[in-house]
Amino acid sequence: MLLAAFQFPHIDELFRWEGLFFGDTAYEINKTSLLVLISSVMILLIFVGGSRRMRLIPTKLQSILEMTFEFIDHGITRDVVGKDAGRFTPFLGSLFLFILFLNFWEIVPFIQFPPTARFAIPLYLAIQTYLIYWYLGFRHNGYRYLTGHLFPAGVPKALYILVTPIELVQIVIVRPFSLAVRLLANMMAGHILLTALALLTTYALENAPIIAIGPFLLNVGVTGFEVLVGFLQAYIFTLLTAVYIADSIHPDH
Amino acid sequence: MNVVFAALLASENLNDGVKASNPILPETHEIVWSVVAFVLVFAVLAWKAWPAISKSLSDREAKIRADLDAAEGARVEAESSLETYKQQLADARGDAGRIIDEARQAADDVRRELIARAEADSADLRTRAQEDIRQATERAMVDLQARLADLSIELAQRIVERNLDRDTQIALIESYINEVASTQK
Repeated sequence: MLLAAFQFPHIDELFRWEGLFFGDTAYEINKTSLLVLISSVMILLIFVGGSRRMRLIPTKLQSILEMTFEFIDHGITRDVVGKDAGRFTPFLGSLFLFILFLNFWEIVPFIQFPPTARFAIPLYLAIQTYLIYWYLGFRHNGYRYLTGHLFPAGVPKALYILVTPIELVQIVIVRPFSLAVRLLANMMAGHILLTALALLTTYALENAPIIAIGPFLLNVGVTGFEVLVGFLQAYIFTLLTAVYIADSIHPDH
Repeated sequence: MNVVFAALLASENLNDGVKASNPILPETHEIVWSVVAFVLVFAVLAWKAWPAISKSLSDREAKIRADLDAAEGARVEAESSLETYKQQLADARGDAGRIIDEARQAADDVRRELIARAEADSADLRTRAQEDIRQATERAMVDLQARLADLSIELAQRIVERNLDRDTQIALIESYINEVASTQK
């Protein structure tokens, strides 16, 4: 009965932000865009600043930068795309860091909003991946890239009636859509959950302090969990991008 | 959790009559700034950061590889040197043993030679001494005989007061001496 009186704010209040600069223009800057820009600056400051004077015996920051590079270069690029695919590391590394930094805003006190919970960003990143793997597919394999997917070898021709439309939908729609929605849904759900728990804690403190400990502890636990989710989603997005690129370059594998 | 979702659903009707806009739909300006931010991150990292980090790792890998190769070379060289030194030590020990044996053999030879020479010298000395003694004895005997003869002659002259010629006296004395000698044997 007590909680029935709890009013959750309108969903827009969790995701839509007033313009801070250049209001009502195509280049309006709101909280989401500001966090995106701040994230970019932070990434550049850390990675460009940290890599200016590389030493044989690395500093702590240099070790972190090198571990990040190795994680992307060996853990994703060369393992997934291929041993000689190091040229994709800059793109995949930038993609991973970009998503990771944006995701972690979710747990930064007083900010607590991941820009990736706005569809614009996962959508842009997914479309970008989509365009890249189509470009690479056609560049490396010509039209065989498309025909190889639509008419896979070894499948009885009669089954093409079923397989071809499924494959077409998959490479044209499902891949980019799932890529974008997976990231969006995870970050959006996390944000809603954390907000709900924080508001419930506040509400309980004001009305029934004895039960505030429940949502508070849950909020702490979920915050820790969101660290994992933020990292995992950045990793999954990057890994799937690498898988699609590998499929474009070597469709037979 | 049900309470949360119930609250979420309820909030649709509690927003002062404002029609809820779809939070899923992307905003154009957010896409614009996302593109700007990502392109900026990608371009600058690809230009400055990734090559520097990659080069640093490659340099360290090359340094470690070179150091390992050098260490392996040094180890092989050290093992080779150790074998050489062991061989030289064994040779030196063999040489030392041989030299000691030769020295011992030479010392034995010298000792035997010295002993032989000493024995020869000793025998020679003894022979010469015996010869000298014999000659001295003979000379003494001759002198004694002569002296004895003279004394005997003188004595005889005095006793018998008879003057014999010398040759007769000598013959007489020698006869006497021989007689005396034969009686002493």
